[in-house]
Amino acid sequence: MNTTGHIERDDLVLFAMQLLSKEDAAIVSTHVESCPECLHELAEVQGDLAVYAHTVEMQAPPASARERLLKQVAHEKKVIPIETAAEPALPVRGFGGRSSLTEDDLPPRGFAGRIFPWLGWALAAGMTVTAGSFYMQRAALQGSVAEQKDQIAQLTTDAATAREVMATITDPSALRVTLTKAQTAPVPQARATYVADKGVLIFQANNMPALEPAKVYELWLIPANGSSPIPAGTFQPDQRGYASIMMPPLPKGVQAKAFGVTIENEGGSQTPTLPIIMVGA
Amino acid sequence: MYRETGIVNTPPLSTQDDAALLALVQRGDEYAMASLFDRYSKVVYSVAMRVLRDPAAAEDVLQEVFMQIWRSPDGFIATRGSLGGWLAVVSRNRSIDTLRRKRPTECVDDIALASNYNLANEAEREMMVERARGVIQLLPMEQRKTLEMAFFDGLTHSEIAEMTGDPLGTVKTRIRSGLSTLRKAFTA
Repeated sequence: MNTTGHIERDDLVLFAMQLLSKEDAAIVSTHVESCPECLHELAEVQGDLAVYAHTVEMQAPPASARERLLKQVAHEKKVIPIETAAEPALPVRGFGGRSSLTEDDLPPRGFAGRIFPWLGWALAAGMTVTAGSFYMQRAALQGSVAEQKDQIAQLTTDAATAREVMATITDPSALRVTLTKAQTAPVPQARATYVADKGVLIFQANNMPALEPAKVYELWLIPANGSSPIPAGTFQPDQRGYASIMMPPLPKGVQAKAFGVTIENEGGSQTPTLPIIMVGA
Repeated sequence: MYRETGIVNTPPLSTQDDAALLALVQRGDEYAMASLFDRYSKVVYSVAMRVLRDPAAAEDVLQEVFMQIWRSPDGFIATRGSLGGWLAVVSRNRSIDTLRRKRPTECVDDIALASNYNLANEAEREMMVERARGVIQLLPMEQRKTLEMAFFDGLTHSEIAEMTGDPLGTVKTRIRSGLSTLRKAFTA
């Protein structure tokens, strides 16, 4: 069989036609696997046999054979991987002639036969849509949370700053100095900072003389609409004449015409007692 | 006698057409499977009928061959050179297996075709088939009969030698010479 290191062509022909004995076929098969030259020759012989096979007298198979095959094909439906089905790269039809089949060309299928093959895909599509929806909601929530985190961080920073400002202003140990013209005797001074829309008022006074016992200073907001003055808190100056009122309870939206300070009995009053010792507009 | 070529009302095909259909079959497309059947069932059935001479047995081979495509289309894609030619050979081998009542032989079927003929092209294939029939008809009677006995009847060279009384070497040479003549007719 092997006289030149390769399989003789006669034997390759017999091997291709499955006419060798089991032992000889095994030898040829083993050799061909590792011999490109013999493998090429064997492929050529197969090509020759393919041509020769076509010389047979043609006979159409019975019509029932087609129906039988397609029934068997339908019976052995395939489970297609999703990623393969998701990317249809080839035309489904359109080869022309008999290739353009209609539903009538296939064996009739029952309702279940038509529906069940698509149930998996419908379920997969539904899951995909649901997963997509969840993903979008999750992304939106994550964005919202991130935005709120930023806001909270900003507010925290602002609050810390505000607390620091307030602590500095209200700290009784803080050094407070009012600069005036040189060689001028210190005079009582006060500053009111008011935001009408928010009803927020900050009041600071310097060089305020000490009061008699049981007396307090009282701050008044004098509305621009001419209504009665609104009490804005009482205060006692410290030993250095400093006093402050921070955000007393005031109605919002009251436009101020002026602010005034009176001396009242301890506990304060609902109406100012004249005279008004300090005023500013 | 040799009038038909086994191609059923199909437009000109290309290798890509077969590959595309096989790819669709791989994705479970039953229409593509029906298309392949329409294209190649006749040659598959005819070869099986020539070997088995039994319509029921030939139809079984037809079913077996096409169900093999349905179950394992990737084994048929691209490397076969020509699906139609390869199916004809597979049909012959399956029929011989049936004749011998043995299990299918896989090793030979796994060898890709290398052919000087473009069996995938419809027009070229029709011309090739007509020409091949002419070449076979012109072979010496002993050579033609020996080739038929080997290929279509599945007789071993020993069996042929015993039946014809020819030496084993002569039988082998006749078979090989017949195929060589066929090849030369297309390569000349």
